[in-house]
Amino acid sequence: MSHIHISLEHVNYSYDTSNPVLKDITFTAHEHDAIGLIGANGVGKSTLLKLLVGLNLDYKGSIRVEDIPVEKNTLPVIREKIGYVFQDSDSQLFMSTVKDDVAFAPRNYGLSDEEVNRRVDHALKSIHIEHLKNRQIYKLSGGEKKLVSIATILSMTPDIILMDEPSIALDPRNRRRLIHILNNFGHLKIIASHDLDMILDTCNRVLLMSDGQIIRDGNTGEILSDKELLEKHGLELPLCMQRSPHR
Amino acid sequence: MSKVDHALYEIHHMDTLADRDQWLNHIHPLVKLIITVSYISVTVSFQKYDFTRLLRMGIYPIALFILGDISFPNALKRLRLVLPLVCFVGLFNPLFDRRPAVELGTVVITAGMISMITLMLKGIYSILAAYLLIASTSIEKICSAMRMLHIPAILVTQVLLTYRYIFVLLEEARRITDAYSLRAPRQKGIHFKVWGSLAGQLLLRSMDRADHVYESMTLRGYRGEFYYGSRTALRAKDSIYLVIWITLFILLKII
Repeated sequence: MSHIHISLEHVNYSYDTSNPVLKDITFTAHEHDAIGLIGANGVGKSTLLKLLVGLNLDYKGSIRVEDIPVEKNTLPVIREKIGYVFQDSDSQLFMSTVKDDVAFAPRNYGLSDEEVNRRVDHALKSIHIEHLKNRQIYKLSGGEKKLVSIATILSMTPDIILMDEPSIALDPRNRRRLIHILNNFGHLKIIASHDLDMILDTCNRVLLMSDGQIIRDGNTGEILSDKELLEKHGLELPLCMQRSPHR
Repeated sequence: MSKVDHALYEIHHMDTLADRDQWLNHIHPLVKLIITVSYISVTVSFQKYDFTRLLRMGIYPIALFILGDISFPNALKRLRLVLPLVCFVGLFNPLFDRRPAVELGTVVITAGMISMITLMLKGIYSILAAYLLIASTSIEKICSAMRMLHIPAILVTQVLLTYRYIFVLLEEARRITDAYSLRAPRQKGIHFKVWGSLAGQLLLRSMDRADHVYESMTLRGYRGEFYYGSRTALRAKDSIYLVIWITLFILLKII
């Protein structure tokens, strides 16, 4: 069995008792899985990702990351392994310059200045945004902020990547770069997105969510080509599958 | 540009000033912080009638405006809201202290007038010194210098986060006012009937944003203390700069 994995057993979560957001979620994600988390708006995708990094702890059931239960006292260890990209980049970036923001995590983990600088350079280079290194965050465009957000987690050299709508705000070229980065990341990744074409390009497994539950867990090609299933749960076929062969 | 946009621009502009490649910006932040605190301490320690000796303390802000290539008119423009408050402090001195102090021909200048001007000048000098510090040093570097002086981490973090949350608050205010103005094209400003709900929205949204920022920090290993990168050692030019100013302040105080 592979080393890096996440397992959830019978996880239930609600912000208030009358309105459950996640219902009986059970799945295991292994080291080389690339999982697309799909579903209509408000089905609980972002909430599920937040549970995995312990941003919401009052869940019922069991969540384990590399066999470590997600609890208050284990959060520092778990968060060192997981890189989480927020849906809204403005919430993720809070230092004044790109360099300082990307260096934030390595500095917190007590790395030497040389190692911090090396990681910052490497993270920026891997996304081809070295030229933004000394720029101030507020001067960046939405797409640039998204790329910097991704660099901030790559500098942590995480074992697991979680991304919430990573392709939002990216132009076609940067979206293509993002897909390339994700495909080059060999460990476990879970991507919540409505961009089903990107999911098709980056993920080998899909979890389809509806009304707080996992409706289907399986091969990406099979699920994303099932028009009836997708439409029943508020989605549509990926654009590349909607094109008529005669056009 | 709306008022909120303008406020955001002004704060961003201070960050840009602090980020410039100027000689003054490269002086060690600890040195600049010590000099600024020393300057303000010496300035406020002058007697209330000691106007002429206090006037000489103006050499520090003048020198820094020149050395740092910082625009004095822009500084006055940015401080236009604070300076009147400082000046207001001594406004009643001439009413209470009417003893004649100096006679210039037929004009009698009272002790109260001198103490008022002295008090105003102390305030103006102090604010200019603080402005010059933040115009030549980023907030992260100032906080780093504060930690070097062993100021408790919790206080320093408060300073840094308060500064950062100003952006969060203003950006939310901008989004709300933009959304409002786009759907109320013939109104000047915001109608008082919706002030309550807009203020409530602003509070709730900025609290949410603040929560998200904090979550982002904790996810990247934040455990109550900011690390500001390498603590660069003092160079010879930093030490000389420090010694020159501190010596000058002492001389200006005792001579």
